[in-house]
Amino acid sequence: MGKEMTLDVLSSIKGATASKVVEDLFEVIKKGHVDGGTNEVHQQSVAIDDLRPDEVINSTTTERNLIIDNFPKEKNGFLVVPKVIEE
Amino acid sequence: MGSVIESLHQQLVNKEISCEALVKGKLDALKASDYNASNYILDDYALDLAKKVDAKIAKGERIGLLEGIPFGVKDVYLLQGTYSSASSDFLKKYNSPYTATAIQKLLDAGAIPVAKENCDSFGHGSSSENTVFGPVKNALDKGKVAGGSSGGSAVNVAKDFTTFSIGGDTGGSIRQPAGYNAIYGLKPTYGKISRFGLMAYASSTDCVGPIAQELEDIRIVLNTMSGKDVKDQTTFASDAIAEEAVSSGLAKGTKIGYYKNFIETEALDPAMKKQFKNILATLEAEGIEIVPLDFFDADILVATYYALAMAETASNLARLDGTNYGVREEGESLKEGYSVTRSENFTAETQRRIVGGNQVLSQGHSEEIYNKALALRAQISHHFDEDFKNVDLILSPVTPNPVPEIGNNLKDPMTMYLSDAYTVGFSLGGLPTLTAPLALETGVQITAAKRQEAKLFSCANFLKQVL
Repeated sequence: MGKEMTLDVLSSIKGATASKVVEDLFEVIKKGHVDGGTNEVHQQSVAIDDLRPDEVINSTTTERNLIIDNFPKEKNGFLVVPKVIEE
Repeated sequence: MGSVIESLHQQLVNKEISCEALVKGKLDALKASDYNASNYILDDYALDLAKKVDAKIAKGERIGLLEGIPFGVKDVYLLQGTYSSASSDFLKKYNSPYTATAIQKLLDAGAIPVAKENCDSFGHGSSSENTVFGPVKNALDKGKVAGGSSGGSAVNVAKDFTTFSIGGDTGGSIRQPAGYNAIYGLKPTYGKISRFGLMAYASSTDCVGPIAQELEDIRIVLNTMSGKDVKDQTTFASDAIAEEAVSSGLAKGTKIGYYKNFIETEALDPAMKKQFKNILATLEAEGIEIVPLDFFDADILVATYYALAMAETASNLARLDGTNYGVREEGESLKEGYSVTRSENFTAETQRRIVGGNQVLSQGHSEEIYNKALALRAQISHHFDEDFKNVDLILSPVTPNPVPEIGNNLKDPMTMYLSDAYTVGFSLGGLPTLTAPLALETGVQITAAKRQEAKLFSCANFLKQVL
């Protein structure tokens, strides 16, 4: 714990490093001026008085079959996971 | 007021053409095309649906306006039983388990999907060159880009290979390719159309929208797809936009604003600047009040948008690790497997955005970049709210420059990002914005306050009459 994670680990992309073009964009943000008086409004927030019912909706058989069809590896209708961690 | 949909509908009803012949004609044109605009052509799927429409007509049953009308779908929408690749190697063989709400509504209305259309991979691009299916060529000049990310959809519409297409717009991905291919493209108010079944790029600005040759067809398709969906909690109920909105014009005294810094800058192509000023002069002569407005610098808009979009796409695409679906590459350990899978199956531009997003969100950066970008976005939205107290509409160019040649964007990502300078601000504000193929090489952009789409149609129709 406390160890800094590198970008390749954070992104799960081999050899990933910061790119110059993205750094340049970030520099613009750092220099940007934010008015102290502006309240931060979450424009796309969702009202909690209009949530969908908290109930399970089962997939159709067609949907389930297509999900299985998309498994990268499958055995007897089950997903084969990449590794079994036994620790 | 022209409508290709209405015209085809009448031909079907009058039995001047069979639905099968109509759909087959589109499928043949799509197959013969060398524009790289389609990833998958839905032969049997579409022809089966067409035969059902013909059977209905033969029995003398009434058909709906969209029934039997062929349309295209950007390859980021799920359509059950068809591949949805997001133009990536990762999902090239991903078979959609269900159908996106917006597409389902069109299916319910009887429209027939004929193609899954090429685009920038996961929406990451402004030219439709960042795709594993080959760069999409512009409908008007094959040496130029189609625009992006919904480039394939725009080209298919412009070439009449589809009657209309459904694009996706996160920072300009419908409006810019529509402008590049001289057709109409609408990004509605955020939440007007459900995003359920759209592969997420940046969830807080992703929008579903129509692309078509005629304004009236944009209205018909928009009305069909709009509305609240329990599967997307950000959606809202909305009334249909009346036909009169398209046929009416603007009253004298209507106030139209424009952002001075978008126009009075050397970054704007001189010919386009002149053409835009001519629009303002014409409108003024027609009794419209033109209001110059101040706005944020374009580089702030672009940087704010990209910082947030990259953060969101890094989170959204974290689910793609080869475990449950898509391609899986084996590694010596679990993490090595994830890493190899993601390194080999995301394009360079997608990797750049994921890495940038993780950088934005990581410790030490989140305060000075991500949180600040959120604050800037709040300011931009607030600015729009204030502007729309003083004006009815805002006009702007779609892009600062003419359509680029194929091959230049990927070599210079910053140029690509800056080409979004005039579209991303309206995305951050969640505002409805329409590209109309008028006056400028890449079209003119019309923006209204939230949920005021009807004004866009009136303005576009007016511009069409007077320009």
